[in-house]
Amino acid sequence: MIKHHPTSSVLRHFVAGELPVSVAVIVASHVELCDECRAAVQLLTEQAAAQAFDDTVMGEALSGLQSDTPIEDDEFFKAFDFDAATVSDITGSDAANMIESITEQSALINSALAQTVNEIEISGTRIKLPRAIKSIALREWQGLGKLSRARLALEDQELRASLLHIDKGGSVPCHTHKGFEITLILRGSFEDEMGSYREGDFMWLDGDHTHQPVTKEGCVCLTVSSDAIHFTQGMSQLLNPIGRFIY
Amino acid sequence: MQQIVSKSYPKRESKIIANNIKTQVPAELSHWLTLVAEQRDKQAFTALFEFFAPKIKRFGIKQLGSDAQANELVQETMTNVWRKSHLYNIDKGAATTWVYTVMRNASFDILRRIKAKNEQNLGDDIWPIDMAQDELQGEEDNFGDHLMEKQMLVYVNTLPEAQQAVVKGVYYQELSQEQLAQQLGVPIGTIKSRLRLALSKLKLQMGEDYHD
Repeated sequence: MIKHHPTSSVLRHFVAGELPVSVAVIVASHVELCDECRAAVQLLTEQAAAQAFDDTVMGEALSGLQSDTPIEDDEFFKAFDFDAATVSDITGSDAANMIESITEQSALINSALAQTVNEIEISGTRIKLPRAIKSIALREWQGLGKLSRARLALEDQELRASLLHIDKGGSVPCHTHKGFEITLILRGSFEDEMGSYREGDFMWLDGDHTHQPVTKEGCVCLTVSSDAIHFTQGMSQLLNPIGRFIY
Repeated sequence: MQQIVSKSYPKRESKIIANNIKTQVPAELSHWLTLVAEQRDKQAFTALFEFFAPKIKRFGIKQLGSDAQANELVQETMTNVWRKSHLYNIDKGAATTWVYTVMRNASFDILRRIKAKNEQNLGDDIWPIDMAQDELQGEEDNFGDHLMEKQMLVYVNTLPEAQQAVVKGVYYQELSQEQLAQQLGVPIGTIKSRLRLALSKLKLQMGEDYHD
């Protein structure tokens, strides 16, 4: 039973395509695992579609970016006629040419030829990877004690996405996040001061949270973080280079 | 041959009265999209283009901020609608929802091209447009010969379009030859000969030891 989900506002931005790519990827990975959020996304997508395509839906005003096409346009409901300039700039012959050049193409059947990775093996167990990262290259695994990490080769300004594996009995010393850190558990579980988390759980932490995750059985997570984590306890401060390692 | 697509738009409902939520979305959208998928029907596509293009343009201006990029979004979205229409499933949702997904994905990828100079398209991985995908996930383990299945599809896709339609109809959609003949509006003899031709080509390819 998944207990931790993205907020509805995050889901709404996700549906609108407005999240940074690495955040979109981790939200999509949660949605793939979570029936509840998948239903919510479906509903939000229907709403967004109505707003974009159904002119009777009271959508937001066009915020001054009015095209030449009035919203209530009888042109749409006349017999098809290329002389009717229904689209600003995509004029009659442009539209005809566009339709012509598109319909010359053949259907695109998703071939299995694209290089995709559907599962990986981590310390002896096979783990199914989220669909959203199947075309994203993974960099080398780097290990440090019970922690190992493989970055996703995903350029996203200051955001970093990684697969993180913590071995049985491992923990990450007590730390805060300078920016934010999103964690999605793909396999296993961990606990911290705030609770316990299992497969499919989606946690979004920011600088206000201090925590010390511990895992009994080991875990594999997808993480997105915006800034290095910062260790907060005496000896652990010596470990701050690890913070940069994890970020 | 009976023409199924009406050439004209549905008659507009009487003037829309405020606070009466009456939808303006033509009921035929899903039907047109299915015709495009199954018959590569240009007229149905033209009707879809006529309905969606201005609205995609509007969305593009809002999301991408320039007229040129909004046009690019129209081009890219409608190209994907044409080329990926077989991923739409009329039983699983409205055409508008599917087209929105295709449009949002294209918009997301265009934005990444502009901002991150990144050419890799991730939209369809993040937001699947294949409506059968969720079901396939579960069934995948039942295919004993999944690789063969995929390789076969690659070969099938090299066939001329008319033969492809017949092979896919019979083997992938499990339609009878009679149904196909009716759907494609050709005599059943034509279906049979296309199928024969296609199968002999496939045999030839399967027999080849090298792949280019």
